[in-house]
Amino acid sequence: MTKPPDDRRLDLLQGTLDMLVLRTLQWGPQHGHGIGNSIRTQSDDLLRVETGSLYPALHRLEKRGWLKSKWAISEANQRAKYYELTAAGKAQLAREQDRWSQLVMAIGRIMLPATAGEE
Amino acid sequence: MRPDERELDEEIRGHLALSIKERVDRGEHPDEARRAALAEFGYVPAARESMRRVWYGRWFDAGAALALDLRVGLRSLRRAKGLSLAVMTTLALGIGANAAIFSVVRGVLLRPLVNRDEDRLLYIRQSAPTLGAGNMTFSVPEIADLKARVTAIGAFGDFSTIDFTMIGIGEPRVVHAGVVSGSFFQVMGLRAVLGRLLTPEDDGAAAAGAVVLTHRFWSSALASDRSVLGKTVRLGSRTATVVGVLEPSVPYPVDTEIIANVVTSPHHLDATMVTGRTHRMTELFGRLAPGASLTTARAELTAAHAAMRQEHPEASAGRTDVRLTVQPLRDQIVTPARTILLVLLLTAAVVFLVACSNVANLILARSVRREAELTVRAALGASRGALRRTLLAESLVLCGAGAGLGILLARPLVAVVARYASRFSMRATEVTVDASLLWMGAGLAIVASVLLAYIPTLPATDGAAGGTRLTPGGVRITPATNRRLRMFATAQVACSFVLLTGAGMLLAALVSLQTAPPGYHLREVLALDVPLPIESFGPKSLTFFDEAMRRVSALPGVTSVAASNVVPWRDLGKFGPFSFAVEGHTPVDGDEAPHGRLRNVTPGYFATLGVPLVAGRDFTDDDRRGSELVAIVSQGIAERLFPDGDAVNHHIWWTDPVLGDDRRRIVGVVADVNDEAISPGPGLNIYNPLRQVPFGGRLLVRAAGDPYALVPALTRVIREISAEQPVERAATLADVRAEMLTPDRLNALVVSGFAGLALLIAIVGVAGVLAFSVSARTREFGVRLAIGSTPGDLMARVLREGTGMVVVGVVAGTVGGYVLARLAQSFVGDLPLPGALPTVGAAALLVGAAVLAALIPAARASRVDVVQALRSE
Repeated sequence: MTKPPDDRRLDLLQGTLDMLVLRTLQWGPQHGHGIGNSIRTQSDDLLRVETGSLYPALHRLEKRGWLKSKWAISEANQRAKYYELTAAGKAQLAREQDRWSQLVMAIGRIMLPATAGEE
Repeated sequence: MRPDERELDEEIRGHLALSIKERVDRGEHPDEARRAALAEFGYVPAARESMRRVWYGRWFDAGAALALDLRVGLRSLRRAKGLSLAVMTTLALGIGANAAIFSVVRGVLLRPLVNRDEDRLLYIRQSAPTLGAGNMTFSVPEIADLKARVTAIGAFGDFSTIDFTMIGIGEPRVVHAGVVSGSFFQVMGLRAVLGRLLTPEDDGAAAAGAVVLTHRFWSSALASDRSVLGKTVRLGSRTATVVGVLEPSVPYPVDTEIIANVVTSPHHLDATMVTGRTHRMTELFGRLAPGASLTTARAELTAAHAAMRQEHPEASAGRTDVRLTVQPLRDQIVTPARTILLVLLLTAAVVFLVACSNVANLILARSVRREAELTVRAALGASRGALRRTLLAESLVLCGAGAGLGILLARPLVAVVARYASRFSMRATEVTVDASLLWMGAGLAIVASVLLAYIPTLPATDGAAGGTRLTPGGVRITPATNRRLRMFATAQVACSFVLLTGAGMLLAALVSLQTAPPGYHLREVLALDVPLPIESFGPKSLTFFDEAMRRVSALPGVTSVAASNVVPWRDLGKFGPFSFAVEGHTPVDGDEAPHGRLRNVTPGYFATLGVPLVAGRDFTDDDRRGSELVAIVSQGIAERLFPDGDAVNHHIWWTDPVLGDDRRRIVGVVADVNDEAISPGPGLNIYNPLRQVPFGGRLLVRAAGDPYALVPALTRVIREISAEQPVERAATLADVRAEMLTPDRLNALVVSGFAGLALLIAIVGVAGVLAFSVSARTREFGVRLAIGSTPGDLMARVLREGTGMVVVGVVAGTVGGYVLARLAQSFVGDLPLPGALPTVGAAALLVGAAVLAALIPAARASRVDVVQALRSE
C-alpha cells in the first residue's frame, strides 16, 4: 500500500464516504470513476477515495436500496455501470446532511468555544 | 439483485478504461497511463473480495474462512504425507467396513417386506424342540381345525413343497415346487409382474393345472422371457399352464422355482393328504383380521391348538412337547440372521473405535510437534475458536478423504457381506447398495473429524502460560499428552484383544468341528441325488435302483455302491425323528418316548461309507419284501435301550403313526454317526432295508480314484436306464461336510479378519506411541546414559513401557472378551468352548506382537549418543 507523496491529503472520516457518494450523485447518474473524480476535484484534491473502498460502498448503498444502477457506454467508449439516487437515497442524503451539520456544530463548540459563544 | 462475477469484472474494467483515458487525455503515454491506473486501483482480487463481502455478508466471512482453513489444512497435510496416508487408510478401513455392514443390516433387519401390509402377515409353526423337530409343519385336517376355531386370523394361506419332474421349460429335470391353495397369494399380499397369480378358482380337483413362476427362476433360468406365459408344462403325470410370474419377494420357508395349484399334484388330492391327521407337510401363514392384534391371534391359536391336541391325542403320539409359535413373517425370516448381523455390526464398530483411537494418536502426536505453530498463531491473535476451526478443517479434510475411500471400499464389500448373511436369512439376497451407504459414511466421517479436532489441547491464549514452548530443539510431551497417548494405545489394545479372543473362540470351535470324527470315509465316497418322481415310489423304484446299482458297480474305478434315502449332512430333517419302541424296554411314565431317524439303506451301505458293524450282521439281498422284517440300530440306541448289550434279535417298531407299527427284528448294531449335524453328539439312527421300505433316491458311490472323475460315466449309465432321469448334486462327503461347515468357517474368517485388522492397527499404534515417546525423550536418555545406565537398561525400559500398555489393555479387554464369548456361544450352539486357550492365545499374541513392535523404538533409545543428546537443547 503505497501512499501518494502528497501529504496534504486527508483521510476520510469513518462513515462519511457513504454521505459523499450520495451527495455526489445528487447531480445525476454517474459511474464509479466519475464519483471518485468528482469527490477529489470538489475537495480541491484534499480527499481521495480509494477504489477498494469506493466500489464496496457503492454496492452496499445499492443493496440498501439508496442507489440503483444501469449499464451505459462511458466516454472511454466502454460499458460502465452508472449509479443513480433513488427516492430512499434522497431521503437518506437529507438525514445524513442533518446529522453531519449537527456533528460539525457539536465538534465546533468543543474545539472553538469562543467563536461558538459569539454567535 | 446480486450482480454476478462477470459484471463485477466488467465494472472494474470500465473503471480502469476511464482512468487510462483520463491520463492519456492529459498527455501521458498509453503504457505509462495503464500502469499508473492499475497502480492507483490497487490489488484487483482484494477489491473483488471486499465487494463479494458486501453481497454475501456474514456467510461470506464464514465461508471464506472455512475455505481458507481447508486450503491451509490441505497444504499442511501435504507436508505430512505419511501421516495423512496412515490416517486416511485407517479411517477408510473403519468407515468402509461399518458402512457396508450397516447397509446389509438395514436391508435385512430393518426394511419392510414387499408384501402388502406385511406387519399383519403371520407365520405359524408347529414344533417339538426337545426332539429336534424344529418345524413339524401341519397336516390338512389340523389346518382345518385351526381355521374353524380362530377368528383373529382373517385368512389362512398354506404352502407345501413337492418335487416334480418338469418337462416343457428348459431341460427335463426335477424342480422344487410349491403347492398352494387359492388363498395363498391373497394372504401373502403379493402381486404378479406378468399374467396372474393363483386364486380360489384354481382350487379343487376339477380345476385346470396352473403354475406361477417365481421371479428368480423366471429372470435367471428363463432370461425374463415373456412368451413363457400360456405355455403348457408337464409336471410328473399332470400338465399345467404357466399363468403368471410372481413379483420378487423373499421365498419362505423354502425357495422354489414354481408354485402350482393343488390339482397338479395327485398326492395333494389323495386320502393320505386330505384326511391323514399325521401327514404333516404344509406350512401355514395367516393374515390378521381387521382389528385383531398379534396378541389375540396368538392366544386364540394357542388355545385352538391345545384343544385340537386334546381331541386327537393319537396324532402326536409320544410327543409331549409339541408347541405352536406365531410370529410376524418378517421376524421369522430375519431372526436367524439377527445375532450374526448384530455381532458383525458390533465387531465393525469395535474396529472403528480402534481405527479412531489410532488416528487420534497420530493426530495427537502431530499436534505436539506443532505446538510451537499453534502458540505462534495464538500469540498473533488467533482466537481459540479460530485455532479449533483450523484443526477441524484439517480433520475434515482427512476424514472426508477417508470416508470417500471407505465408501469406494464398501461398495464391493456390501455384496460380500450380503452373500455371507444370505446363509442365515434369505432376505440378504435382495440387499443392494443404496444411498444409506453414503449417509453412513458421511456420518461416521463427521463424528470422527469432530472427535479428532477436539483431541489436541490448545495453547493458552490468555498469555499466562504463553511463550513457553517456543524454544527450538524438538518436542516435549507434557504429562497430560503422554497420558492421552497411552490411553488411546491401551484402548486399541483392549479392543483388539476382545476381537482376537472372539476370533480365537470361533476358530477353536471350528477346529473342534473340523476335527470331530466324521464316522465316514469322506474323500472316497461320492453322493448323488437320483430323485424319482413321487408317483414311481415303491416297488417300481426298487427295480430302477437295483438296475442302476448293478450298472454303476460294473463301472471301472467304482469300489462299491449303495442306495439310501439321505445324503449325510445334506438332506436334513427329512426322515425323523420319529418315536419308536423296543421290546423289553418300557419307558418310565412321563419319560419322553425314544426317537430315532429313519434311514433306508441297501446291503453294503455301511461298508461303502465306512461305518463299522459293532454286532450282528449287515442287510443282505434276502432282506426283501415278503421276507422277515429286520432293522439295524446305531450303537447309541443299543446302549441306551439294551444296557445288557443284547440288542440283536430283539424287536423294534415305530410308534409314529406315519410309519406303521410293523415289528422288526434287530439284526445288527453299527457305530454311531451323526449325519444331521457336525457335533460330537450321537445321531440315533434306525436303519431299515431299502427293499422293505422303498423310499430312496440317493446313490453313494465309493471310488478307487478321483470320485468326481466318475460323474460323467455315472450319469451316462443311469440315463441309459431312463433317459429323462435327473442325476444331480454330485459331491464327495468331504465336500458336503465342508459345505455344512461353511457358515462356521465364514464366521471364523470374518471375525478373524476384523481381529487381524484391529491387531495390526493396535500394534502400529503401540509402536507409534513408543517411537514418539523415545524421540521426545532423547535428552532424558542422554542424561540416563551419562549417569551410568547401560544401553541395555534403556532398551529394557522402553520394552517394559510397551508391554505395560499391552498388559493394561488386555486386562481391560478381558471383561469385554467375556461378553463376546457369550455372544459367540449363541451361534455355535452348545458346543463346548475351550475358554482358556483362545484367551491366553490372544493375550500371548498381543504381548508378543507388542514386544516385537517395541523393539524398533527400544533399539533407537539404546543408540542415543550422549554428547549429541545433551547438546540438543
